Amino acid sequence: MDTDPIVEVRGLTKIYRQGETNIVALNQVTVGIQPGEFVVLMGPSGSGKSTLLHLIAGIDRPTSGDVLVRGINVAALNESRLAEWRNRNVGFVFQSFNLIPVLTAAENVELPLLLTGLNAKRRREHVAAALDLVGLTERARHLPRQLSGGQEQRVAIARALVTDPLLVVADEPTGNLDAKSAHDVLGILQSLSREAGKTVIMVTHDPKAAAFGSRQLHLEKGEIVA
Amino acid sequence: MTILGFIRKNALRNRRRALLSVGSVAVSLFLLVTLMTLIRELTIPPEDVGASLRLVVRNKVSLAQPLPYKQLSLLDRIPGVVAVTPFTFFGGNYRDEKVTSFAQFAVDPVRFTNVFVESRSSPGQIAAWIANRTGCLVGMDTMRRYDMKVGDKLKLTGTFYPCDLELKIEGTYQGSVDDRTVFFHHKYLDELTGDPGSVGTWWIRVAAADASGDVVSAINRTFQNTSAEVRAESERSFQMSFVSMWGNIQVLIESICSVVVFTLMLVTVSTMSMAIRERFRELAILKAIGFRRREIFTFILAESFGLAALGGLIGIGGAALFWGLLDVQKLSNGFLVYFEVVPRTMARAALVAALLGVVSAIGPSLAVARTSVVEGLKTLD
Amino acid sequence: MVIPLRYHVRNVVVRWRSTVATLLGIALVVAVFVLLRSLAAGIEKSSAQTGDPRNILVVRKGSQAESSSLVTREQLQALQYLKGIALNAEGKPLISADVITLISAPRAGGTGEANLLIRGVTSRGRELRPQVHLTTGRWLEPGKREVVVAENLARRFAGLEMGGTLKAGMGRLKVVGLFNGGGSAYDSEVWMDADEARLLFEREMYSSLILRPIDDDAYRSLTNTIESDKRFALRAEREVDYYAQQTLTAVPIKILASLLGSAMSIGAVFAAMNTMYAAIGSRTREIGTLRVLGYSKMSILCGFLLEGGLLALLGGFIGVAVSYGLYQYVILRGITFGTMNFQSFSETIFQFSMPPALLLLGLAFSVVVGLIGSILPAWRASQIPVISALKSL
Repeated sequence: MDTDPIVEVRGLTKIYRQGETNIVALNQVTVGIQPGEFVVLMGPSGSGKSTLLHLIAGIDRPTSGDVLVRGINVAALNESRLAEWRNRNVGFVFQSFNLIPVLTAAENVELPLLLTGLNAKRRREHVAAALDLVGLTERARHLPRQLSGGQEQRVAIARALVTDPLLVVADEPTGNLDAKSAHDVLGILQSLSREAGKTVIMVTHDPKAAAFGSRQLHLEKGEIVA
Repeated sequence: MTILGFIRKNALRNRRRALLSVGSVAVSLFLLVTLMTLIRELTIPPEDVGASLRLVVRNKVSLAQPLPYKQLSLLDRIPGVVAVTPFTFFGGNYRDEKVTSFAQFAVDPVRFTNVFVESRSSPGQIAAWIANRTGCLVGMDTMRRYDMKVGDKLKLTGTFYPCDLELKIEGTYQGSVDDRTVFFHHKYLDELTGDPGSVGTWWIRVAAADASGDVVSAINRTFQNTSAEVRAESERSFQMSFVSMWGNIQVLIESICSVVVFTLMLVTVSTMSMAIRERFRELAILKAIGFRRREIFTFILAESFGLAALGGLIGIGGAALFWGLLDVQKLSNGFLVYFEVVPRTMARAALVAALLGVVSAIGPSLAVARTSVVEGLKTLD
Repeated sequence: MVIPLRYHVRNVVVRWRSTVATLLGIALVVAVFVLLRSLAAGIEKSSAQTGDPRNILVVRKGSQAESSSLVTREQLQALQYLKGIALNAEGKPLISADVITLISAPRAGGTGEANLLIRGVTSRGRELRPQVHLTTGRWLEPGKREVVVAENLARRFAGLEMGGTLKAGMGRLKVVGLFNGGGSAYDSEVWMDADEARLLFEREMYSSLILRPIDDDAYRSLTNTIESDKRFALRAEREVDYYAQQTLTAVPIKILASLLGSAMSIGAVFAAMNTMYAAIGSRTREIGTLRVLGYSKMSILCGFLLEGGLLALLGGFIGVAVSYGLYQYVILRGITFGTMNFQSFSETIFQFSMPPALLLLGLAFSVVVGLIGSILPAWRASQIPVISALKSL
């Protein structure tokens, strides 16, 4: 097994400009994440946990420092390369699900696959497998508004998985869910890391959710404290 | 699902918005086509095949000044002239109409048929018309409009002349540039007015179009320094002189029209841009999933282009259909005659529609390009 | 409970980015509407301001313009001894015959030709039209082939300036004076001596007669006498009434104004609708909160109608201001417009006319557009459930 870290964060700093003042969201963060880990980022609001997640996932750019994922310096990629990289390597799960309302569950899951060279038949197979994994095969033809919050989030997870990414990142995935649905969603994320060997990184402020992870990182004022 | 299917679903997601976008494009282009047709109508006089062979001779003073009848024998002898007919505007009113939709001219029937050779009419009817001093030849458009039949009486009240005409319809014609006009015997008019020995204008057919310039100068020379100097010109430039009479109001209307079009374009672009901006958050999700800028631009462009194309189709097609079915002549009191939406106008309007689609995509595209995924996700619906 | 007006006013102002296109759109729609109407009003005004209320104009029955009317010398003879015609200082009856014809003349700047209306008048004809007064040069002398020209016309045609010559067939007419017709149809005319005109244009007959009755009773008896005599076949009416009816020229512009007005107002309604929907869409939570605070559906509906109306009114103000500015500019610079008069086939000169009522009409127009455009969005706003105040998105 590969024991090299899959994600290497080195001296990562992010400074936001807000009006006249600079806000340091992340300050010289260095951390490594091993393949198959389920890392939970915790901390109070404004601690920089979401910023760290965004930078690892390549949807934001650091002020300084590097993010290496499988040896690729994400921060150095140009806009178009970065988009392509995200498509292949990162699956996203958001707090507010962010499904496209006009598309059915299956179509939402299919969306990232449209960017790959797969033909329609192969795409359908991948979609079916991903929906099966989150236990929503029979809801494939439903529109997001016909689904419960928990189901919507599970569709979002299926969408994150369908391209078979290296990383699954989740930003407060249970923030909008009731306890039962949250438990289901976290169970799925946990089994992804334990059984499928996926690397999962999740931001949450809920200690109960954090308990599902294999490692917890606590951030405060832009630095890892534990 | 395909990318195209996704674009379609997305565009129609907010039906109301899509409808408003399509609607405002349609209204703009309807108006654009209408105005372009109006300006065309005001600036380009109609023309038919025989026009290049015809000349019009009027008094140099103005159209209102008559020409002496005795000029005819001189005109006949000018080389290159094939036929000459007197052509005098009567300006009568039909029934109680304030502004009658068809003009009436007094002509010499035999000579007339030699000048206007291209309009179709049955030889029997022409012969009957020539034979009857109070007979007239009526254009098919007028026949249909007033539901007239050959053999009917046609009474016209003079406004230019202090006399009324009592004509009998002996025949019809069609295939001329304006199938509305009524032609009658100049002799009949002379009888009613006490034979003043004058005509309004002369209309002439020349042997060959390329020789018409020589004929024009020959005619002008012939009557130089006589009591009735003339102005001979081609039928086309005669018609154009009416366009010139519109004066600078035409410029004014044209500039107002450009403001109108600009306004509607502005509104349309803003409507369509808003439709796309509404989905900012979704575009950010697409970005996060791995769609590149290029692909997102394609989405935006395809959507705005599609909406514009649909609106264009409705607006341009609607205008063509609307003005085709409507009796514009009657509605405008005879001021507008043809109001034909020609393919060239439609093509130009279609180009504007395409441009609208592209321009509307620019704003949102720039905004999407500028916004990072993180910011985009923070945008509320 | 009514939502404070301030709330809506501030919203219109704060959200200016999304409203600016609509505002501008409505402004331009209103401006175009007002300008076209003022154009038509200008044309109508020039004929409505023509003539003296004391005068009677006599034309041939059936003719539709003075230029196509015919009055014989015998008729003039017969009419001038009718009872009831006022006398001038020299004790002569105030009656005059005009000869009207057209001359095709080149425009200044070489942009084609147009017909000039030539009016042959007598000295009494001038006396009968006090609204025409000389501004430059002197009055024409009969028999010397002299003309006086309306100032506005002189600027627009080549050779019509003071001292210029006008060609009429073999004849050469010299411009010896310029006159101002006080915004009337005379401002588009060239005047010369009546008998000279008859000679030059080989006219046996006159075109029209103008005369002044002593009083209203004389007016009635004179018109009665003239119209009832079958041999005459003449029509007599007050000069001002006759000209007020000559409105055909303005018809196409009026048609254009209503066509553009209605089509553009549909476009403007769409724009207003769009803006209001967007405004309401982004304020769903806010509206839910207002409902929580106790505002009724009705007050939400009215509030948003008001907001739409307000927005449009703002656009209307801009539009009216723009068109008024343009109007002032045109007036100050003395810019005139010319087109073909459909009755006389001659060039007619006019200016914009912008009465206050037209400006108010423009504002009303904008408010109506705003209200119609806001009905559906406002209705939708009023249907937003209270619960949306609590939704996180």
